[in-house]
Amino acid sequence: MTPLYPFPAITGQEHAKKALQCTLVDDDIRTILIMGDTGTAKSTLARSVGTLVFSKKVLTVPQNITYDRLLGNLELESAVSTGRARLAPGILEQGNCQILYADNINLMDEGIVTTMLNTSETGQIILEREGFSHRARTRFILIATMDPAEGELTSSQMDHFDLCVRLDPIEDSGLRADVVRKHLRFEQSPDEFIREYEPRILALKKTLDAARERLPYVSIPDGHADLISSLCLELVVAGQRGDLAVARAAKALAALDCRDSVEFDDIKLASLFALEHRRRDIPENPPATPPQNKPEPKDQDQKSETGSSYRNTRPDQTPDLQPERQEQKDPDKKKTLPSPLAEQVFGIGSPFEVIRYLNEKSRRATHKQKSGRRSRIISTDASGHYCSFCLPKKNRHDIAIDATLRAAAPYQQSRERNGLAISVKKMDLREKIREKKTAHTILFLVDASGSMGTRKRMVAVKGAILSLLTDAYQKRDRIGLMIFRGTDARLVLPPTRSPDLAVRMLRTLPTGGMTPLIQGIAEAYGLLTRGRYAAAGENKSIVILTDGRVNVSMNTKSPYNELADMTRSIAGTGIRFVVVDTEVGFPCLGRARALAGDLEASYFRLEDLNSRRLTGTVQELIYTTR
Amino acid sequence: MTGENPVYPFSAIVGQEDMKDALLANVVYPSIGGVLIRGEKGTAKSTTVRAVADLLPERDVVKGCMFRCGVSDSRNLCSSCREKIATSGKPETELVRMRVVELPLCATEDRVVGTMDIEHAITRGVKKFEPGVLAMANGNILYVDEVNLLDDHIVDLLLDAAAMGINFVEREGISYSHPARFLLVGTMNPEEGDLRPQLLDRFGLVVDVEGEKDPVRRSDVVKRRLEFERDPVAFCKKFESEQQAVRDRIIRAKESVSGIKADDLLINTAIKISLVLGVDGHRSDLTLVKTALAFAALDGQNDVKREQVIKAAGLSLPHRLRRRPFEESRMDFGTIRALIEECYGSS
Repeated sequence: MTPLYPFPAITGQEHAKKALQCTLVDDDIRTILIMGDTGTAKSTLARSVGTLVFSKKVLTVPQNITYDRLLGNLELESAVSTGRARLAPGILEQGNCQILYADNINLMDEGIVTTMLNTSETGQIILEREGFSHRARTRFILIATMDPAEGELTSSQMDHFDLCVRLDPIEDSGLRADVVRKHLRFEQSPDEFIREYEPRILALKKTLDAARERLPYVSIPDGHADLISSLCLELVVAGQRGDLAVARAAKALAALDCRDSVEFDDIKLASLFALEHRRRDIPENPPATPPQNKPEPKDQDQKSETGSSYRNTRPDQTPDLQPERQEQKDPDKKKTLPSPLAEQVFGIGSPFEVIRYLNEKSRRATHKQKSGRRSRIISTDASGHYCSFCLPKKNRHDIAIDATLRAAAPYQQSRERNGLAISVKKMDLREKIREKKTAHTILFLVDASGSMGTRKRMVAVKGAILSLLTDAYQKRDRIGLMIFRGTDARLVLPPTRSPDLAVRMLRTLPTGGMTPLIQGIAEAYGLLTRGRYAAAGENKSIVILTDGRVNVSMNTKSPYNELADMTRSIAGTGIRFVVVDTEVGFPCLGRARALAGDLEASYFRLEDLNSRRLTGTVQELIYTTR
Repeated sequence: MTGENPVYPFSAIVGQEDMKDALLANVVYPSIGGVLIRGEKGTAKSTTVRAVADLLPERDVVKGCMFRCGVSDSRNLCSSCREKIATSGKPETELVRMRVVELPLCATEDRVVGTMDIEHAITRGVKKFEPGVLAMANGNILYVDEVNLLDDHIVDLLLDAAAMGINFVEREGISYSHPARFLLVGTMNPEEGDLRPQLLDRFGLVVDVEGEKDPVRRSDVVKRRLEFERDPVAFCKKFESEQQAVRDRIIRAKESVSGIKADDLLINTAIKISLVLGVDGHRSDLTLVKTALAFAALDGQNDVKREQVIKAAGLSLPHRLRRRPFEESRMDFGTIRALIEECYGSS
């Protein structure tokens, strides 16, 4: 077998290593999630746990796992030869008293993930499939890894993880060199390398064994116990799982340190392991002024929120936006406002508070209501992930062989087999149900007319689009960008899965000219209903960022009448519309709201995106109805 | 080679030095982790990859093994070969040449990871694993044309196996694992959308190819191709001595690469570049170091020189410069070169 990298040889990442040791000390700490960016040795660390346990095996739960292997299914061989239905245990049952390892758990089938986590918590396998009813006890440690940039887990899935640690990139060049050297040595002569670490592995094992023995005698002083509950309350952790996990981890830490009593530092570290991923809110970062107030001081609001949102974004994001913010801060210095019809290019505004959710190191992002849930559809061709099976419909050839054979197996004793081991009859046939992620196509239709240039409205709009793009990227949606200004609408970016392109376009997007909103909507609608993006079965949405003003008509009618006629005719024809109202200042005409009404669209104010009421997911925009 | 269609000889390929270098480096140092070739159609991508496979010496593998387990490679044996060797000592062997296994875009997940062998189940009543593309790819080159258009979940499966070198199968009633070590070569046309940065990072090296610009060399490409098509055997013969020279170079490099020490200067340079460019993770450090070692071995040297570091940096860094989906921090190569020269001294 491929040799495992020795656990003590992992450079740095002391927190993660401690947390993993806790799971080996306390059997009641059963699930641990290791998060980190790509290439931070998540998997190496997770697998290296295998070098610390002699009595346990590490079973890999691969991406391709199906339910029958997870929970158990009919044992084909005995069914064929004896006609009796026996159960072949699945990996959750085989994993009893062992360690299960799931790499990139956020990319796995959602149902599978939930089943694993629930089973781990209840310790009971409940199988009700294909005529089988089966219950079994099982207890395993689940070690999972994920790269949050690739997608998220739902908040309830996150909550199921007892502990969660984040691997931080190693910035120290000495440590980094150490990583490279060790890795090269391990690759070149693994046996020698492992031998070198044997004494340290044995010592660590001794420590772990001693800690396991000590654990039942470790107690938490009363004051500290209160501290845990008040900590959980303060961090607004929902449910009791957090409290329990902190207490358990703290005890394990004390035991590892050869103490019988939990100390303050244990609790501090334990709450980092157990609470960080369960947090609901950010107490140290009070919400900025609620934006639902008079329109005039909007720019002020913007500023204050910009400031707060930067506190937590990565510093390297700022330089790009610096000049723009400078300008915003000193609006008076610009005495001469540019004429609305002149062409200007605005930078991208603050990527809004929502961006913070996405870039931040801790995992608050997972508490968004609808995020993390990718929309899935049943695939109509043979592509996609095999998730279940059914009795076949007409003219389908995607046979679920395993299910078919299982269906046929019990009848083999009584069937004429013609020299074959299994005779399959038509009634046995089962067909695969495959699931795949829906390809969302989202077209951003942006008003780039002169009116957007006033008050630097475009800066905020670009910021909002950027926030939404980030989310769309994580969901692997297809994104297009169309702008309208002057006399027509222009497709700046045909729907693509490369949001980098979209951002590049966004950066150089000019504003100025008239407002041909009607042409814009017509073009966008046409593109998604007739053009090459009209493919059936896809979810299509148009997100319109506009103040609802229009001053170019296509025929002789008044632009507003024409707009109303057109929008009413295309409302409810299969494409979802979202109107993001960019209107600001007096007089407040509410034209965008009217437009949203005509289009039967969801309606948001641009400020909503910049507030805590929305978390900036496109899904949320599209599926929230008001 | 008799009976097979002759493959266009590696040494007859005009230009495309980066692509050739990247592939050879991977052959010499397999854990570099594959090559992603970005560029338009018709830039000899597939020809070059096939030519590399054809160039490599034959390997001694366990006869009849569906994963072609290498006899000398005791760590990466499939379960049946391990059993065979444990019970009977030395198994029967055969010589095989490296192949290029293609993963088509329409591949379904059961064909990629493998599934239950229907025929075996029906005739014998016993479950058996039917190997998929990942099994065929073991010990070979896995060539994914237009990898950016491949379904996300297929790519995830691919990388899952590639990361561990083992394909774990737990599906459709089958529980099985087998070695899956392959040289991953992907191609893509960047105009059709980018790969996720996480995927990009998994590819060791990246090569940007474009058509030959020089008119004389361009006509060379056509002339040679036509000559090859007219009489492939004669054409191959013409290049045989050059082919042998490259082959010898590869064999020597494979032998010598483990003897070349990654000195502090090399490691520190790699880390300095990563830190200056703000690349998270250790893959960039490791890939740069390994690629430089491979180039030194290919050049027949005992230690890594500045030129090899520069060449390795040119292939291992371009796709790692961007850290977050939307940060445009494309740094020009001049900065990297300057850094290397600062460490190694300029010429």
